[in-house]
Amino acid sequence: MSITPVIEVRELSRTYRKNGHETPVLRGVSFAIGRGEFVAITGASGSGKSTLMNILGLLDQPDGGEYRLDGQDVSHADDDARADLRNRHIGFVFQQFHLMDRVSALENVMLPLLYAVEELADGEARARRALETVGLGHRVGHRPGELSGGEQQRVAIARALINDPALVLADEPTGNLDATNGAEILTLLRALKAQGRTIVLVTHDPAVAAQADRVLAMRDGQLAPAAG
Amino acid sequence: MTLLAARARRFWRQARLSLALLAAHPLRTVLSASGLVAGVAAVMVMVALGRGAERRVVERVRALGTDLLIVTAAPAPRIAGRVRQVETSTLLRPQDAPAILEALPRAVAASAAVHRTLVVRSEGRNATVAVTGTAPDGLRIRGISAARGRVWDEYEEQMRSRVAVIGPVLASTLFGADDPVGREVRVGNVPFEIIGLAGVRGVDPGGADLDNAISIPLETALRRVVNVPYVDALYVQGRGTDELERLEAEVRDFLRERHRIRDHAPEAFVVRNQAVILRTERAAARALDQLTVGVATLAAVVGGIGILAVMLIAVRERRREIGLRRALGAHRRDIRAQFLVESVLVAGAGGLGGVILGAAVAVVGSALASWTLDVSWWTALIALAGSVLLGVAVGTVPAMRAARLEPVAALRGE
Repeated sequence: MSITPVIEVRELSRTYRKNGHETPVLRGVSFAIGRGEFVAITGASGSGKSTLMNILGLLDQPDGGEYRLDGQDVSHADDDARADLRNRHIGFVFQQFHLMDRVSALENVMLPLLYAVEELADGEARARRALETVGLGHRVGHRPGELSGGEQQRVAIARALINDPALVLADEPTGNLDATNGAEILTLLRALKAQGRTIVLVTHDPAVAAQADRVLAMRDGQLAPAAG
Repeated sequence: MTLLAARARRFWRQARLSLALLAAHPLRTVLSASGLVAGVAAVMVMVALGRGAERRVVERVRALGTDLLIVTAAPAPRIAGRVRQVETSTLLRPQDAPAILEALPRAVAASAAVHRTLVVRSEGRNATVAVTGTAPDGLRIRGISAARGRVWDEYEEQMRSRVAVIGPVLASTLFGADDPVGREVRVGNVPFEIIGLAGVRGVDPGGADLDNAISIPLETALRRVVNVPYVDALYVQGRGTDELERLEAEVRDFLRERHRIRDHAPEAFVVRNQAVILRTERAAARALDQLTVGVATLAAVVGGIGILAVMLIAVRERRREIGLRRALGAHRRDIRAQFLVESVLVAGAGGLGGVILGAAVAVVGSALASWTLDVSWWTALIALAGSVLLGVAVGTVPAMRAARLEPVAALRGE
């Protein structure tokens, strides 16, 4: 690949220490994800996929190895710098949606703008466009409680898109949804990929992972030999 | 400028979000602030009461004038336990007044007076009231003027005329709504013509009704009513409140010398200094102020604990929200600021509620009961500022805790 990958990790390691016990969770993980790719990270519980996702999302820091996000070495970024990187480059989608019940869909989508390094003049217009992108242009004023689970997750995806991130990081996005709504969300993610978005999907469900272009399977803190 | 505007927009949006989140638990938010509301209201009412009491004291003392010395004859010393026929010292004489005025430049006016409690009668009605015999100067010094009719002059004084100026309360006792001027009354058994109706003067510091009284010329009183050569009091007016203590010392020295009182003999007279009375009564009224500081401290502690407890609970409950905000790019300081703003909002609203409640209680209290409540807007301002500071103080620990949370753990709700 001649162009810079969105994600490039080398020999990532992470060990949890608790009460003198050391539990290695990541043991030398290396891979790269190119622009516009839709990659699934799978693995059983305890395989290290959540830890990997947290590190990719800059919510956690590796003990060793190197992480380049969009060409920039972020392995040693401090707390504030990581917060700014998350805000600017990463769009999160969570299993539990994590929407604020008390405010409208529009305000939920605009929440990342509150912490943007540079204030955008057209924040509200962008939020409306993001909601249209996920097919909720008619629901901007609704509160999360007034929306179905699938719609709530689409609000969360719109929120992930508002800062035009290099990477959309979805952690079990269909885990709290029924089959129909889950399928809709996966279709939406594929549509985003078609628009050129880079998407990393973390899931334990092989059927969900199968929707991605490529699967990275985690086992015992390491990547299993590539399947395809 | 644009950066400032952007910051202001950002702050405003955050404040609106915080308000929405506080509104999510209206009962809890209100309860958390209720301690502060009650405390601030209590302080407002206490200060209003204290100021009201002080104002009443000042008005009462000022009714007599704060530039006045009142020299009264001391109770006569008992000899071998027997009360003497004359109950007070017979030392003070009418001529002491002009002598003081002549000798002491600090005195601008002086007048002698006799005071008795006597039966005053008119056409079958009677009342036992304070009778004062004093010269025209004495009327002026004590603030007695005619609301209707006139007061006597120096000529009538010297002629021992039987004329009187009647207080409004006594007038209505004897004559009802009729005009008392021109009517006749008997003071003791001596007939007097009422030539003036005094204006309303209120109650003196001792609690006596100054309007349930009658005044007659001093010379008339001494020769025709009480039949003694001595007086009960000398009223000496100074140039002002500041000089009054110097004048008091001079009057004491002058009287001791004039009446040849030996250096260590007990005083035969008592000097009331209106300036000193004003100061001490004012200080007594202000004693409440020291209590106010205590109540305010208590209000801050109780109110602060309430808000602190609820903020700590809020931080625990909203860990997922904190984790989300961190994931979306909030710095630790953003989280800290958010919870500080919320704490200040609650405390500020509590303070404002307390000010409104306290002012309402004070206003209603002075309207319904006969208390004098004087609402202090300075206290309100200080209470508001104090509440905001309290919000910062008690918000600090919850805000630090919220900011310390690790995003991954917070998102899981841990």
